[in-house]
Amino acid sequence: MVYVNIHNKLIELKIVYYGAGMSGKTTNLIQLHQGLREQHKGQMVSLATESESTIFFDFFPVELGQINGMSVRLRMYTVPGQDFYEASRRLVLEGADGVVFVIDSDPAREPANYASYEDLCKNLKACHSAIERIPVIFQYNKRDIPRALAVGSVEAKVGFTPLQVFEAVASRGEGVKQTAQAISRSVVERFAF
Amino acid sequence: MTQDNNAAARAELAAILDSLVSECALRTVALVTRDGSLVTSRGDVSYLDITALAALLGGMFSATREVAKLVGEKHFSILLQQGEKRHIHISLVTNDFMLALIFEDVGKIGMIRTVTRRIAGRVGELAAMDWTPSADEPASQEPAKRSSEFREYALDLIDRIFSP
Repeated sequence: MVYVNIHNKLIELKIVYYGAGMSGKTTNLIQLHQGLREQHKGQMVSLATESESTIFFDFFPVELGQINGMSVRLRMYTVPGQDFYEASRRLVLEGADGVVFVIDSDPAREPANYASYEDLCKNLKACHSAIERIPVIFQYNKRDIPRALAVGSVEAKVGFTPLQVFEAVASRGEGVKQTAQAISRSVVERFAF
Repeated sequence: MTQDNNAAARAELAAILDSLVSECALRTVALVTRDGSLVTSRGDVSYLDITALAALLGGMFSATREVAKLVGEKHFSILLQQGEKRHIHISLVTNDFMLALIFEDVGKIGMIRTVTRRIAGRVGELAAMDWTPSADEPASQEPAKRSSEFREYALDLIDRIFSP
C-alpha cells in the first residue's frame, strides 16, 4: 500500500521479492544494495538464521529523491522462502505495491517454484489482494546452471502472464538492477494520489 | 481536511510527543505504522537509523500479533525490551499504529506506562486522521495533473538510479 506521510513529506512504495527457498531473493537484495550509490540507499537489515536462510525478512530503503517537495522512497523486502515460514511470508507481503517472483532455474527446484507461486497467490488473497491486481515481474535466476529451466515454462504451468520476465545470475549481479528498475517503474506507473 | 486543520493536527501530535519525551526522559519516540513506515519521531534520532528501526518494529508488530493469536489473545498491547543501557517500550495506540519509546532510565518505566496510556487515545486519533495534502503540499494541484507529473519525475529518477 502506497504510504503518503505528510508529517515527513514522504511517499513510500513497498516492493517484495518472493520465491522458493534458496532461489536467490536475498542475493538479489544484497547485490542491489551493493550496486547503488550511498546517497540512494539506507541500511540493509537482514533477519537470518545461522545458515543464512532468511527467517523473517531482509529490507533496505531506496531513496529516489525529492519530487514536488516530497521525498520518495522504495521499501525493498524479501520474504523467507522455506516452507515453515509461511506465516512470516504473509506478514511481509501485506501492503505490497509490487512483487518480484524469483524463480530458481535449477530443474530440480521446479516443484518448489510452483509451490511458491501457489503460496504467493494464497497469501495475496489473505492480504485482501490478488496477483492480477498488483504489478508482478518474474525473474528466472541462476541462469548459469546446467539444463536451466526454459524461460516461460513457469508461466505456462501456472497460467499467469507477468508484466515482464527477466533472466538473472543474481550471485554475479547480472539482471539484478534491470529487475529492480522494471518493478519500480511498474509500481510508480500505477501510482496516483 | 483543510490546510489549517492539517497543520494544527500535526502541531498537536508533535507537542504531545515532545511533552512525552521530556516528561519520561526519553531518548527517542517514534510513531510507526503496522507495516513499518515511520509517521513521525521526536527526541534524538542522530544515533540510530530510524527507517531501519521502523521496518523492524513493523515486523515485531506483525509477529507479536500472530504470537498473541496463537495463545488466544487478540494482541499484546505492550512490549518491553530491556537492555543494559537502553530499553524500548512499544505500545499499540490503535490497530494500525504503535508508539516506540527508547529510554535509558529504567526507573521511569512506571511513568512511561502511565503517560503512554493517558495519551494513546489522542495520538491514535491524530495518527489515523486522513492526512490529505494541503495547499503548500503536492495535492494543491489537480489530482490527475499532480499524479502524472509525479510519475514522470519518479520514472526518470528510477531510470537514473537503477540503470546498469
